[in-house]
Amino acid sequence: MTRSPFAFPVVAFSLVVAVSGCGFFGRVLQRNLAVPREPRKVQNKIHDPRRPGARLAVLWIGHATALVQMDDAFVLTDPVFTRTVGAFSPRLVEPGLDPADLPPLRAVVISHTHFDHLSYDSLDMIEQKTPIVLLPPGARSSLPRYAFESRELDRWESYEAGGLRVTAIPVQHVGGRWGIDQAWHTRAFTGYVFEYHGLSVYFGGDTAFDKDKFAAARDHFPKLDVALLPICPTEPRDFMRRTHMDTIEALDAFALLGASRMIPIHFDTFINSDDRPGDCPRLLRDHMRERNLDDTRVVILEVGEERVLMAR
Amino acid sequence: MHGARWSRILVASALLGAANDARADQDDGSAGRVTPAIAAGVWTLAQLLPSPLLVTGSHHVGGGVRWQITPFVYSFGVAARPVRMFIVDPIARHSGALELYGSPEWACCAPDGGTGWIARAGGRLYVPLAGHGESLAASLGGSYYRASGGDGAALEVGAYLFFSIVGITVTVSPKLERREVISALTLRYF
Repeated sequence: MTRSPFAFPVVAFSLVVAVSGCGFFGRVLQRNLAVPREPRKVQNKIHDPRRPGARLAVLWIGHATALVQMDDAFVLTDPVFTRTVGAFSPRLVEPGLDPADLPPLRAVVISHTHFDHLSYDSLDMIEQKTPIVLLPPGARSSLPRYAFESRELDRWESYEAGGLRVTAIPVQHVGGRWGIDQAWHTRAFTGYVFEYHGLSVYFGGDTAFDKDKFAAARDHFPKLDVALLPICPTEPRDFMRRTHMDTIEALDAFALLGASRMIPIHFDTFINSDDRPGDCPRLLRDHMRERNLDDTRVVILEVGEERVLMAR
Repeated sequence: MHGARWSRILVASALLGAANDARADQDDGSAGRVTPAIAAGVWTLAQLLPSPLLVTGSHHVGGGVRWQITPFVYSFGVAARPVRMFIVDPIARHSGALELYGSPEWACCAPDGGTGWIARAGGRLYVPLAGHGESLAASLGGSYYRASGGDGAALEVGAYLFFSIVGITVTVSPKLERREVISALTLRYF
């Protein structure tokens, strides 16, 4: 959780870009440079996330990182526990769970290889917690070696072990990690559905709105108990539309998926857009009111908050 | 001349291969703004970007620039695709790798001469030191050079930050008169 001592060239570069005011990227860099050195603390942090009385529970650790409990099986999504992502973007709030407090996991899923979803240092922290990490096609070539097994899942392909089934589902985003590699990593992004003991959970990772893809997911998984859907970043909209849903589109996706509940993710953890912290959940609440959706259907968690969605 | 022609053919093949992969998958939801043509252009420009040199010898200080082409990398730090040719993801280098490279260099700007081209071919071993090498990596290498002052062997050490995009390398060529020690601010992207 300490700032990397090797970040000087990055900060220097960031300063040059920020001072030069290079449009959107300059604004984002300037705002990142203004982030307090210490992230906001999580109050009443959970140290044992296991809920023996729960059939289905979700703990939002921050950004796209969530711990999903399905009976006795735990799945972790897009683990990011580091102080910064991409060397220059600091956390606004500390992780909602310490990696040491994670229970033994059945699987970890990575939606794509961007720095805020595939964190090498975070995988180091949980290397002994999981037997396998699942990735989209082509992503293993951007993954260092670890003790756990790593496996790519193509669209609609499943991994099964001990009654848990994880299926990769199509989403609308972009692959690559360092810029130009998005030109050849054209399939290295995905969402997932986890199934266990009759429960099913949708994890959207990072996606734009694509009606056909959400409809296809519903056709394959007609009874989703909860959908974890990204609601941010949204601004500037012309730039973000191709790769990210806004809050209205997230609710449209929720409706198309036909899930029983939605948990919004991917907001208020890092600064990667023109959105101000708090903008996305506020807009989401506004649109929930317009659609008569209450907080039992759309469950907005705080970082570090765990919610039991189905009791035994 | 044959070597240069084969290098061009191999680079073109690698870029065309990447472009074909991308075209085959373009209807699969990628919202990427970087087309294969843009990627090829950026990669080419990145290879043309020179690394500035500080050239030092006994009673001699000068400058210069260096380029590098990487026809082969074997990475022992990645989970898949250990062999990369020409187009080398940062992780393939800094997570631990052995690379073969070729470097044209131009030393200049010293008041007492020493200006001229150096052709260098060598190998380099990368070792990750922090963050799987994303934060800090080091290298140890050796090369064979040809210059107007003769040819010979050189040793090199390096350290790299920021996904191996920025680094410092020091090349020692004891028999290369007036250019015995060449320090480079290495700038490299793919």
